[in-house]
Amino acid sequence: MFLQTVITGLSIGGIYALMAVGYSLVFSVLNFSNFAHGAVIMLGAYVGLALATKLNLGFGLVLAGSVAGAGIIAVLNEKLAYSSLRGRKAPSLYLMISAMGCAVFLENLVYATIGSRFYAFPEFFGRQVVTLWGSSVSLLDGGAFLFALLAIFGLHLFIRRTRTGIAIRAGVCDMTMCSLMGVDLNRLIAVVFLLAGGFAGVAGVFLGVKYLVYPTMGWVTNKAYIAAVIGGLGSLPGALAGGLILGMVETFVSTYVSSVLRDVFSFTLLIAFLVWRPNGLMGIDSEDKV
Amino acid sequence: MKALLVEDLHVHYGTIHAVQGVSFPVEEGEIVSIVGSNGAGKSTIMWTLAGVVPPSGGRVAIKGSPMPRKPHEVVALGLALVPERRRLFSALTVRENLLMGAYRRAGGDEIEAAMERCFELFPILRERLSQRSGTLSGGEQQMLAISRALMSGPEILLLDEPTLGLAPILVEAVMETVARIRDEGVTVLMVEQNATQALEISDRGYILEAGVFVKSGPGPDLARDPEIRRAYLGG
Repeated sequence: MFLQTVITGLSIGGIYALMAVGYSLVFSVLNFSNFAHGAVIMLGAYVGLALATKLNLGFGLVLAGSVAGAGIIAVLNEKLAYSSLRGRKAPSLYLMISAMGCAVFLENLVYATIGSRFYAFPEFFGRQVVTLWGSSVSLLDGGAFLFALLAIFGLHLFIRRTRTGIAIRAGVCDMTMCSLMGVDLNRLIAVVFLLAGGFAGVAGVFLGVKYLVYPTMGWVTNKAYIAAVIGGLGSLPGALAGGLILGMVETFVSTYVSSVLRDVFSFTLLIAFLVWRPNGLMGIDSEDKV
Repeated sequence: MKALLVEDLHVHYGTIHAVQGVSFPVEEGEIVSIVGSNGAGKSTIMWTLAGVVPPSGGRVAIKGSPMPRKPHEVVALGLALVPERRRLFSALTVRENLLMGAYRRAGGDEIEAAMERCFELFPILRERLSQRSGTLSGGEQQMLAISRALMSGPEILLLDEPTLGLAPILVEAVMETVARIRDEGVTVLMVEQNATQALEISDRGYILEAGVFVKSGPGPDLARDPEIRRAYLGG
């Protein structure tokens, strides 16, 4: 029972972390909470669903297609809804309001075109379980956790090692100076949204496979937001740690206390962090030396 | 050919008329200094020439072609800015800051060569390569800021208050470096508040007051002008 709970917690935490990474990336570069991220996750899940049910593709291709689809949607989202605000140097509050508008718009677009039905992915993995030390562990859960870990590690390497990655981190420090190094900011921001969208695609498919696909499924990103705040908005290792902590807390509360109280605990955690440690566990606060 | 030609430049911040019609040329291989008190509009001119602040009137030509609108396009023409207060990428290491400076360069060899050139000017940076730039001392930060700008291999270098907050001995070292950079073929436009030393090494100097030039001439002459000494150079 205990081990099963741990694995479930890690898998949910891994999905939270995948979503939190997208939040954190955008937040750290543009300094606003992109509440349309949930809608991009939802659309990513629908893209995956279409590939799985209409084209009967296997899991790997579904995942790849969803990553590409959600990535492109995220870039379009930025070009259509945020870039003109950025160009006019609007305060980040405006960007956040625009993001909320996008979320509502995209959700209703799905209602109006695809409908409000709940869809399930075909069973890619059956309900395979392995028995570890007397408890049965779902392969899907273990796989989701490992994949999330791998993907976030890959992103970490990209951000640390590549020329574009270093430019993203430089932009986080100082956008204007970044452009004075010869970086085309519009292109850099498009890359950031492509990455965030790609992670949204992965999260969407995992969520859809584990649960169901429906227009408001993106609101689970509330939890990703909590995870990002716990870890420290803008920090990648923080997003991972925050996601895993939240996933574990939720699963343990559901299992050992009461599933009704799960969200009470989650949001209490959010408030506690905002009050006592607004920078999160690994939040960035560095001062320039004058 | 003129490296820079500024004609009747105006800049507004909302209703504030910060730069009110300044004109000046910068010839290739020159050091030109703009001197003036706080708020005279010196930094505004620099940010405008770098493409960050849009001008509200006038013309700027860089190496004969009209100035583009975006900073990264200005950089592509061979111009680099060392801004006031340095504005390093403080969370990045010294090495990463230098790599960002070379963002437009293609090859690894080219980047290594540019880095070696920076170490010739500032040997201390080699020892600091993996240190976060925010943890450097003020003087080291200034060295890194200048190096970061040089990494792109600029033909025109804009220096905004390169000696701000530095000890007198470092001020002299920075000026020597600026002269050396010019001797290596880079055109320099410099802005300074405490400017005797800057004017001494300048081919020409301009005195900026409330957005307009009130005096200009060869740098050393201005540095010795009693009226200017009283007003701007601290006696």
